[in-house]
Amino acid sequence: MKDIWKVAHWEFTRYITNKQFIIGLLITPLLMVAFGALPILLERWNKPQEVTYYIVDETGIMPLLTAGSPANLKLVQPQSKDRVEEEVREAEAAGYLVVDSEFLRTGQAALYLSGHTTEGRAYIQAVLSQFLQQGRMQESGLDWEQLNYVSAPAQVEVHTMADVEIPGRQEMVVSGVFVVLIYIIVFSSGTMLMQSAVQEKRDRMIEVVLSSISPQTLMQGKILGHFLLGVFQMAFWLVLAIPAAIFLLDFPVWEALGGVNLGLLALFGLCSYLLNAAMFVGLGATMDDIQNAGNAQGLVMMLPMLSFFFIAPVVSNPNGSVAVLASFFPFTSPVIMIIRSAMTQVPVWQVVLSVIVLLLAVLAISLAAAKVFRVGMLMYGKTASLAEIGKWLRYREE
Amino acid sequence: MVESGILPRMRGYWLMAADALMVTAVNKTYGDKHVVKDISFRAQAGEILGFLGPNGAGKTTTIRMIMGITAPDSGKIVFQTGGRQLAGVPKELVGYLPEERGLYKDACVMHILQFLAGLKNVSRQEAASRARRWLAKFSLADYANAKVEQLSKGMAQKVQFIAAVLHQPRFIVLDEPFAGLDPVSQDLFKAEIKRLAADGAVVLLSSHQMNIVEELCDRIFLINHGQEVVSGRLGEIRERYGSYRVHVELGADADALVRLPAVAGAERLGSGRWVLYLQDYVKPEEFLRQVPSDVGLRELSITRPALHDIFVKIATGRYGG
Repeated sequence: MKDIWKVAHWEFTRYITNKQFIIGLLITPLLMVAFGALPILLERWNKPQEVTYYIVDETGIMPLLTAGSPANLKLVQPQSKDRVEEEVREAEAAGYLVVDSEFLRTGQAALYLSGHTTEGRAYIQAVLSQFLQQGRMQESGLDWEQLNYVSAPAQVEVHTMADVEIPGRQEMVVSGVFVVLIYIIVFSSGTMLMQSAVQEKRDRMIEVVLSSISPQTLMQGKILGHFLLGVFQMAFWLVLAIPAAIFLLDFPVWEALGGVNLGLLALFGLCSYLLNAAMFVGLGATMDDIQNAGNAQGLVMMLPMLSFFFIAPVVSNPNGSVAVLASFFPFTSPVIMIIRSAMTQVPVWQVVLSVIVLLLAVLAISLAAAKVFRVGMLMYGKTASLAEIGKWLRYREE
Repeated sequence: MVESGILPRMRGYWLMAADALMVTAVNKTYGDKHVVKDISFRAQAGEILGFLGPNGAGKTTTIRMIMGITAPDSGKIVFQTGGRQLAGVPKELVGYLPEERGLYKDACVMHILQFLAGLKNVSRQEAASRARRWLAKFSLADYANAKVEQLSKGMAQKVQFIAAVLHQPRFIVLDEPFAGLDPVSQDLFKAEIKRLAADGAVVLLSSHQMNIVEELCDRIFLINHGQEVVSGRLGEIRERYGSYRVHVELGADADALVRLPAVAGAERLGSGRWVLYLQDYVKPEEFLRQVPSDVGLRELSITRPALHDIFVKIATGRYGG
């Protein structure tokens, strides 16, 4: 155990002063802010385009059209109906609309465009429909009050039954943030662990190190060291993010944290890290260079990404069969379970079974990784094939 | 196990108590390849044992088994120290300079030395003060805080050597320590290796530089195809396995000499100068008795075979094990 700490300490101090790590540490929050704020800023900068339409009105729709028109939509009557196209060109307008006297009978109007634009079209369409509907009803002898009554839209009020607890928006945000953190830590620590194993081989340090400690100790030390790096990384980001959430976004962080099962989140997060860490470090041992990853390695590296594909179906149906299935597959279960428990009340047996399967998978992958690690780390100059890795897995413990 | 000369006769209490590395009937198989076959030897405190063999003979595998990096399929590797026999590798007491060696490129010299010594349970402070002494000895005092990337190949090799001995091991395994070193550094390494042995360490030295092995080693253990081929004191091995060489300068033709029964072959070096290779097991006296009186000898020297020649003979299969 002491040796595991020594290796962990070595990995921690070596990587925490590593340029790549520091840049990642500082850039990631900036990227997050940028990605979060960019759409809002773009929306704000992107002021709606001002468009002008000329309306050739032969039915008296003009008052209804101008009454509720959006600010960027300018509707003008042409001075002369025959010269409307010239007027549109002179005014650089978007086009002109012709609503002829037969409109109430045919229901057809014509929009002539001077170029490509969709601005205002939905509004015009809606007003024309309304005008048509009301005009036709009026023809059949309904008065104004009756008209309103007939054309009023339905309204649905949503209620939750008294004994049902649906997690609030805040809990969903906390769980969402947690899922994102898991992804970041799994991928960044996973990649670093893989690099660390490859580097140990490439720098030809492995034999010297193995003359002092066992390969298992080295592997466990690396996994622990990068776990501590991940925790440091998360803590650093949270120290920045929590005050920002409270003071800038006015988000009740503490209240929201109280609303989720932090223990369960931590358990799933930890298991997810351990599972992927063991896999990545074992993977590193099979490679001579990260650039030379073979097909087998490439496939395995895809495993942590698998849960991406399940997010959409699980969000739309958190208790559906896809969601339940993904809760019992170790490479998807942590993320899927966190999302599900944020959205619905997951049956206890499913949580328990999911945790048991996950823990067994962590154990199995760690043992397999240890076997691959002890053989692979002493193999120089080539990337192992799937057949070779299979052979290593069948070696008996010496 | 081969022990010759004075050692077997002196096997008394003090010898039992002295440090020794004992390898007994060790085997290793990879798939269907029997890489190491029944290797047995003993290396004694204070001596430098030359562990030799051509590439692919099974040296590195044997060394890795001694270091506990891989386990033998059968056989025993015992470290005897302080009167006790340890079945496992006493990691604090072994130092290893592997053939495939390097240093963490992104780390600094002192940190690497402290980390590796730490794995051998040497405290950081102690490791730092010892490391400074060694670095100074190897003229690397200014590089203690340098990144490994800044070191030349020779400098890096010195740091690797320091890493192997910083924790004051009692058992030292050096695999090709001289590869790629300039002559000055070679002398420095030779002196340090001799000193380590003189201080009572068990030193196992694997090298392809036969002149250095001849200079440093008391005994050698030579393997080929995973098996012991030759072992024992260097002088005795030369006696047993090497044919003598005779350098001559003649006034007349060399035919008369080349045709002697004691001579196996000859090579012309220049005008009147020849080197004669004597038959195996032919002693110099035997050759001299056969030399005719009329060959016009101007100069004659008889040299013992170099380890190099014995090695080449064995490696090319002329002395198969």
